[in-house]
Parts: sequence; C-alpha cells; structure tokens
Amino acid sequence: MAELAGIYAASHGPLIVRKWDSVTPAHQQALSGAFAELGRRIKAARLDALVIISPDHWVNFFIDNLPSICVGVGAIHPGPNEPWLIKEYPHTTLPGHPQLAGHILETAFDAGFEPSVSHRMILDHGFCIPLMKAGVDPRLPIVPVVFNDIEPPFPSVRRCYAWGEMLAQAIRSMPGDLRIGVLASGGLSHSIGEATMGLIEEEFDRECLAHFSKGDPGALCDFLTQRLPQVGNGASEIRNWVAAHGAAGGRGFELINYSAVPEVIVGCGFASWNPASR
Amino acid sequence: MRDYWLSKLFFDLQDPAKATEYRAGRAQVLARYELEPQVRAAVESDDVAFLAQRVNPYLLRFYFLVAGMSEEEFLRRIRATGAAHG
Repeated sequence: MAELAGIYAASHGPLIVRKWDSVTPAHQQALSGAFAELGRRIKAARLDALVIISPDHWVNFFIDNLPSICVGVGAIHPGPNEPWLIKEYPHTTLPGHPQLAGHILETAFDAGFEPSVSHRMILDHGFCIPLMKAGVDPRLPIVPVVFNDIEPPFPSVRRCYAWGEMLAQAIRSMPGDLRIGVLASGGLSHSIGEATMGLIEEEFDRECLAHFSKGDPGALCDFLTQRLPQVGNGASEIRNWVAAHGAAGGRGFELINYSAVPEVIVGCGFASWNPASR
Repeated sequence: MRDYWLSKLFFDLQDPAKATEYRAGRAQVLARYELEPQVRAAVESDDVAFLAQRVNPYLLRFYFLVAGMSEEEFLRRIRATGAAHG
C-alpha cells in the first residue's frame, strides 16, 4: 500500500509573485527561506504524487455551479491561468494522477462524502505559487482538490478536518508502493475586497498556529468555527490547513515560519506535519 | 444576496480579451448583461460601496483592477464602506 510520506502547508498570496520587488529585503528573506525549507522537505520525502488542497479563485467555478469540494481527476491539469504568473511559472499544464484521484473519490464516497469531480481542473495561483516558490519538480503528478473557501456557504471546519482524515485513509489504502504527500495552500489571515482589505490579524494567526501546535482537533475546530466569521475573508483558507491537520491525525505540526507581510497583505504561514508522529 | 448578472459580468472580465474590449468601451459589453438600471448606473459610476453589497469581494477587487481603478483609490473607497467580511 502507499505511504503518506509528508504533509505540508503554505500561503499563496498573489502579491508574493506580482509585487515581489515591493517586498522588503527582510520579508523577502523570510518568505524565500520558508519556501526553500518547504521545498527541501518535499524533496526529501521523495514523493511519487502530491495532493494539493486549495481554493478556486473564480477560475473553474461560478455561482451558477459552486461545489464545496471538487477533486481533479485528469491526466493533466491546465495552468497556471493568470498572465502575470505564466511569466514566472511558464507551464501550460501540470501532470495529474488519475489513479490516485479515482481512489480518493472512491474512498470519499464510501466514507459518506460526495465531492464533485473535474476531469480538467485549471490550476490557479493557489496551486501554482507554492509549487513554484518551493521549487517542486513540475513533473511530480498532482491531484488538485478545491475547497470552497471563497463564497459562502463554506464547508464546516469539522467537515474539513474529517475530510483530511478520510484523505489519509485513502492514501494509506492506495494500492502500490507509492509515496504520497498532502499540501494545504492558503491562509493565514488576509482580507480581500472588504472594508478591512490589507489588514493582517496577527494575534488571530498566532492563536490559530498555537492550536495547530497543541494538536487538539476539537479545540482547533471550535476556535475556527467561532473566529473565522469575525476575521478577514481570506482566513477562510485555513480550512485547507485543517484538512491537512486531519490527514495528520491532529499530530506532528511543525511551524516552519510565520511572517505578517503587509507588502503582500497576508499573514504568511508555512508548516509541515510529521506523519511518523501518529 | 449576490446579483447574478453583475457577478457574471465581473467573472467574465477575467478573460483578457473581454477585459480589453471592456476598457475600450463599456457600453457594448454592459448591453450583454441583464443588469438592473440602478446596478448598471453603479457600474458606470464606479460606485464601489453599492457594488460591494452585491458581489463576492474577490470578484469586486478583481473588477476594479480590470476597470483601471488604482489600488490606492479602490482601498480608499472599500475601506470607507465599513462593511467588513462580506
């Protein structure tokens, strides 16, 4: 059976790429160092495939059809789609892993989840920025999973945690001698298109990270269920981290770096979970 | 509530070709969308506060980038709404 060989999380704010030159040298060093360490850990895990959980920023879906969770099952995934990102990450497609995606779907439906399916999921900056900045080999097959973190109603925090638990079960029951990783993309606090746009809620971020470190899933879910509606809309992407935490069984969280970076208007977080700590 | 046709306009303008056409002349693009008169008037007058109540905040922010409003001006206007977490 396959092995869950690594679990990771990273922020993906577009300004990390679009306005990199505006980022202070100190913050450039912090972000570059965090992405490099993330990339080092991913490379050391010798992955055969990577499941990436990210929101869809109005690329694949619209309000006439907006899934809560969607799994990309294609052999290839087009992307990136944003012109400003194509310049820096010049790929037209990235490889998929239909067998793993299909197994995740089968496991999900057996476990009482009903994700949507995309046979041609476009990969926006949420998927591509962590891959690019961490220097992940673009030949690594990926299974993209979209969580709706963008437009209410959102999947509940507890459901996201349970989805992560199911994802770990799917990976560990995948036939074959594969090493599979999970990467949660997004967060931490930021606010887009709201009156609070640009505000980074560092106290919230640090409290959130403390909950991940403590590992108590119930307390984490309670905290986020209460607080997410009160902070900037971008923090909703922490749902993806919660799924990663679920995949790790709520254990082994290790913060790589947290930096509140006003130049990219995001509380930028980077982390990994040690699956061996289960 | 979301205004469907307003949201659809903003969503469609992610297409660079449509965005170019829009910047060249809003009227012919707006004519393709079943916008209510007051909504169309708000689009034509760049009424950030009015539009913010009717679309997803990410689409709102994207739209005003496409429409040519400076980031500073958009921030000034959206912060003036005082309507957080929409």
